[in-house]
Amino acid sequence: MKRSDGRTEPSQLRAFAASQSLLNRADGSAKFSFGESTVIASVVGPAEVKIRDEKMDEATVEVIVRPAVGFPSTKDKLLERALRQTVEPTILAGMMPRTLIQIVVQIVQEDGNMLSTAVNAISLAMLDAGLPMNSLAAAVSAIIDQEGNLLLDPNSKELENASSVHTFAFDNTTSYNLLLSHCIGTYSQEQYLDCLDACKHASERVHSFIRTAVEKRIEKEYQQLQSS
Amino acid sequence: MTENQVASSFSFKIFERIKPDEYFRRFIEENVRPDGRALHTFRPTSIRQGAITTANGSAMVRIGGTTVVCGIKAEVAEPRVDRPKDGFLVPNVELSPICSANFRPGPPSEQAQVNAEIINQVLINCDIVDLSELCIDEGKAVWSLYADIVCINYDGNILDASFLALLCALKDLSLPTAEVLPSSIVQANSSMMIKPLKLRRLPISSTFCIFANPKVTLSDPTDSEENLSKETVSIILDTDGKILYVHKSGGAMCDAEMMKSCFSRANERAAELNELIERTSSQ
Repeated sequence: MKRSDGRTEPSQLRAFAASQSLLNRADGSAKFSFGESTVIASVVGPAEVKIRDEKMDEATVEVIVRPAVGFPSTKDKLLERALRQTVEPTILAGMMPRTLIQIVVQIVQEDGNMLSTAVNAISLAMLDAGLPMNSLAAAVSAIIDQEGNLLLDPNSKELENASSVHTFAFDNTTSYNLLLSHCIGTYSQEQYLDCLDACKHASERVHSFIRTAVEKRIEKEYQQLQSS
Repeated sequence: MTENQVASSFSFKIFERIKPDEYFRRFIEENVRPDGRALHTFRPTSIRQGAITTANGSAMVRIGGTTVVCGIKAEVAEPRVDRPKDGFLVPNVELSPICSANFRPGPPSEQAQVNAEIINQVLINCDIVDLSELCIDEGKAVWSLYADIVCINYDGNILDASFLALLCALKDLSLPTAEVLPSSIVQANSSMMIKPLKLRRLPISSTFCIFANPKVTLSDPTDSEENLSKETVSIILDTDGKILYVHKSGGAMCDAEMMKSCFSRANERAAELNELIERTSSQ
């Protein structure tokens, strides 16, 4: 089977790319791409919180999504809430009461799967910011197309032909807990569980990619430190 | 004796105020919820169609303490150039301070916007209505339906209530027959009313929330239960058992087994509500 962008397997993900600490003024930042879909995330925090949002026993997490073109719409609000509720359980917010963790997501290029790309970018940015976390979220999307095939990491062309779109995020604890499930379209329970399973395996690859990305960066920093 | 009783009824209210999670946990350990429901029971639901006579279609839905009114107003609009036959259906959710102290006056809150957007996406992506049925004259005039979903009493589970209200209002919708005159004026004949929209499927939403300690799922959470548990699962099914929308986020407790049990409970709920809708429409 040949996919529209030249991939040969339905379970093949597009090439990952990531870079960290690309913004000077933020506490942590990262860029993550699945093929052409690219997102930059920045993390500021713990910082001062508005009195209205202050929580006495934990940090307030705020996610802001900036679209690639135009002003934020209600679609971005939905994305904001999904992202916040996905990453919030991975942050040890109880260690930073009465503070604000502000996460800004700037969409750079859109080619499907903005939700999963953004989750991965935020995870990497939070690592870069050195926030206390209990696990790391990684997300992968899948579609069931009109013919009933399950395709992982669809591009925008494949999304046009989708009968349902599924996005799942998992943490990297031993039990691989489900953090997010956002699925829309028309599908059966079996198809849902198939997608869940396929995305679970694929998110392991994203987790190990994030791990190598961080390892490489630290290695590089260490070498620079030694040579200077 | 009476003095003692007063003291104890006071003290449990104070206990609820200062340690809401512990108060709740003790109920859950006995497999009952503070409002007397079992863990998997939905609150009593009632529907009243045609609640607003000045709207083209309306319904009022009550799920326990949550009351939602949906009114649909039809206007004539020009269709989009790329879809000359399709009308518009614009859902809008309003959570004003009148329904709960959680909401502030001003621009729509995130919760209101997110709920409206979820309803909109399900309507668009899940093939529920055929918008070309709203056509008056191809390329010239179509009906544009504004569905305003107003919450007048908020006690949790707004998504289920607003979706149900919208569906019943759509079923109640009747429009005057209209035609475009040669002078390109749209003339409506309100003595001939038609029911233009047929629902292709009946999407029914069920919401669950998950508690970490002890690990249980609760159907149809109230406001106080929503505040105590961050992890929620919303499932929208049609009456044939096809899944249209699943959203789960806010925690890491839920696994595939829990999702399966939520699916089967959502199926039961869909069958139950389908019957209720049939009964109200036939009245």
